[in-house]
Amino acid sequence: MFKKSSAILLSILMASSLAACSGNNNKDNKPADSAKPSNSASTNTEGSTNTGGDVDTSKFVKITYMVLGNKPTNGQFEKVLGEVNKIMKEKINAELEWKWIEWTDWQTKYNLALASGEPIDLITIGTDWLDTWGNAQRGAFMNLDDLLPKYAPQTFNSIPAEDWAESKYNGKIVLIPENDYTQWVNHGFFYRGDWAKEAGITEPIKDWEGIGTYLQYIKDNMPDVIPWDAVSGTSTFGGFNASYSDNLELPISTGYLPVFTAKSFDEKFTINSPVFEDTMVKYATMMKEWADKGFWREDVLNNKNDTRASLRAGLTGMDQHHTQTFGGLRVQMDKDQPGSELQMFPFNRTRGTNLTELSITHGGTSVGAKSKNPERALMAYDLIRNDEQIYHLINYGIEGVQYEVVDGKRQQPAGYDETKDGFYADFWGGRVDKFEIPSVTTWDQLEETLYAEYDKIKKPYPYGQFVFDKTPVEAELTAITQVTGEMGPAISYGKAGDPVKAVEEFRNKLKTAGYDKVLAELQKQMDAYKKLIEG
Amino acid sequence: MEKVIQPAIQSKPRTESSGRLRRFWNNKTLLLMCLPAIAFFIVFAYLPMPGVYLAFIQYNYADGIFKSPFVAFDNFRFLVMNGDLWRLTFNTVAYNLVFIVLGNVLQIFVAILLNELRRKWFKKVAQTLMFLPHFISAVLIGLIAYNILSYDYGLLNHVLASFGMDPVKTYSNAAIWPFIIVFTFLWQSTGYGSIVYFAAIMGLDNEIIEASEIDGANAFQRIIYIIIPWLKPTFIILLLFSLGGILKGNFGLFYNLVGANNTQLYATTDIIETYVFRSLMTNFNFSIGSAVSLYQSVFGFVIVITANWLVKKASPENSLF
Repeated sequence: MFKKSSAILLSILMASSLAACSGNNNKDNKPADSAKPSNSASTNTEGSTNTGGDVDTSKFVKITYMVLGNKPTNGQFEKVLGEVNKIMKEKINAELEWKWIEWTDWQTKYNLALASGEPIDLITIGTDWLDTWGNAQRGAFMNLDDLLPKYAPQTFNSIPAEDWAESKYNGKIVLIPENDYTQWVNHGFFYRGDWAKEAGITEPIKDWEGIGTYLQYIKDNMPDVIPWDAVSGTSTFGGFNASYSDNLELPISTGYLPVFTAKSFDEKFTINSPVFEDTMVKYATMMKEWADKGFWREDVLNNKNDTRASLRAGLTGMDQHHTQTFGGLRVQMDKDQPGSELQMFPFNRTRGTNLTELSITHGGTSVGAKSKNPERALMAYDLIRNDEQIYHLINYGIEGVQYEVVDGKRQQPAGYDETKDGFYADFWGGRVDKFEIPSVTTWDQLEETLYAEYDKIKKPYPYGQFVFDKTPVEAELTAITQVTGEMGPAISYGKAGDPVKAVEEFRNKLKTAGYDKVLAELQKQMDAYKKLIEG
Repeated sequence: MEKVIQPAIQSKPRTESSGRLRRFWNNKTLLLMCLPAIAFFIVFAYLPMPGVYLAFIQYNYADGIFKSPFVAFDNFRFLVMNGDLWRLTFNTVAYNLVFIVLGNVLQIFVAILLNELRRKWFKKVAQTLMFLPHFISAVLIGLIAYNILSYDYGLLNHVLASFGMDPVKTYSNAAIWPFIIVFTFLWQSTGYGSIVYFAAIMGLDNEIIEASEIDGANAFQRIIYIIIPWLKPTFIILLLFSLGGILKGNFGLFYNLVGANNTQLYATTDIIETYVFRSLMTNFNFSIGSAVSLYQSVFGFVIVITANWLVKKASPENSLF
């Protein structure tokens, strides 16, 4: 009998340990338990300052800054931060501590960090890629209206009122924008200038047909090169739409590809959908053609290759990303594949009608709603952003170790070893042009070529103050995201059969998912926004 | 010894309380051994239970769980809206049924084979080799599968080509994926799962086997009339346990084998987990996530109760409660 009962006991234990592995459905609930309401956070802070207006820094505090990126492992970061903290300690009796949200599964980790209720002092935000308005709606950030003038006066005064206006949720400032930093994150194809020349393309490529010609040349003449070793995670419909329509992107995510856009810059408050325009059919047809011609792998949908690494190794002829990436990649390519003359075809080039400046809240910093030391956090931020010495330390490292300035350009000192001396802090929460030192690792002709081209056609970003309240259509938006994820990749890589039929099915599924309801809601909110802007 | 242990697994308590107390004391070692498991379930299963309320609210970080606005069944709406719920539930349940039935049958089979092996070193080696796949992460399995099945560079198509045959497009043929997935699952889980059955066979009293040998039973008769009936309670318990999770898909396996973007295979490979992952990856939403998990749990609960009731009808001594 003993044996039988122990066998049963053993099997129960085994089974329960198995059940434990799969029973993580409560994972979502746990952090929420510890989340306590803290509406009074900003009022509490008043008590800790003395009435005379002077700031009390007698108590030493640690300020955490949450950034996105993989934690550096070579010890250089700690050294640099040590330098920063010497100054911090002296000036505001505080110390900075970096917390890293690593790239693996970063969306989940970022949102969980905010939801968990742990006290976050400073955190990187981005309205167009970190769901900042959604998090603001969920109460993740502290209102800064009263704190800023007192504790971050330099920052507060240097940012103009219209930029503060774009930093408000429900009329309250919830973030500090990166409003004074030039960068372009409009996407495009990167292609090799040398191969394009061989293919007889002498002018810069300005449309997708040109890219098609280029890829066809590689296909026909270079048997060992995959013309474009694409991965299906790369979504190009937004780019195609930028090339062949006047539509403007909206700060609303519908997952794999954009379902909603604004009609054009002149009709910027009219919502339309590129998916329901001819653009979609044209795109699907072209991509089917490209797939059939073998421009990418047959198994593109399951391909997990690193396209950029392939490009640098000379195994593929094309890559897709934004201008900022191109600036660095061009220099690397000149080293890895000498004479490759990497070029970029920015999608907006084709029509030149729909390039808007980057939203100033693409990067920025917020104070967590549960921060225990918001005053000192803002003081620290004020120093990072306005003290040249600290700024250079945090962005570039220690002069003489990480960089030296020669002829006004940053370059690596002799004997610099990337693994040993490499440094980055991933501070994207308030860089400023005035402290930036140009680097030799960024292509030096970027400004005279692409930037100059953009400057000719750029338009101001019109949706800085538009905050889409998803609440009424949460379920529909989720369903639409599912549909774009389900149908998008196959259509984008010509694997959905007959393109016209596939687009038809895609549209039908979007309709079932509640496309019309979201469109109506979006238009309604856009009308209200129009009133706000035009008075 | 036997008498002392026996009551611990009896489900019906005695009426006198003093007897109960003594029994409690007598079994203190066994109970102590259960303590980690009990603590685990209290912490990870019972304490978070009020959290299911999350499924009915529109969760707001600042307000917390119990102050966020109540929205009743709004969060469940997206599941039924596309009309995909039936297909997903069917896929998930069908896969899990196959996993459970084939998995257990194969595990019993392997356990019996192991038991029949006489050479000790061979038994150990075989056990270890079958055990190994359990420790390979799904991500790696996905990569291995891709390197075998890929159209342009896969091992399979190289082999086919060397025999002068046409290459196959595995990644665009939905019909064969159920087989690939089931095969991979069995490959990964059989060795590990057979341990439970093997342990149960070990618990079989040798005297019974010897008696049967004296009576002239051959190996097959021994298996069919002694070992398999002996394994029945273990099988039923494991079955009931796995039925509870029948609506919970093996996300890692499906996601890594099929990939996030291969629409062509969704008809036969999309399960609730992958669907939800696709929907909520970009719109981080606790409440809808909880709603889905509640649906799975309630469904699983109903199935366990029903299955247990059926078992009780058929053979009362084997039911869980």
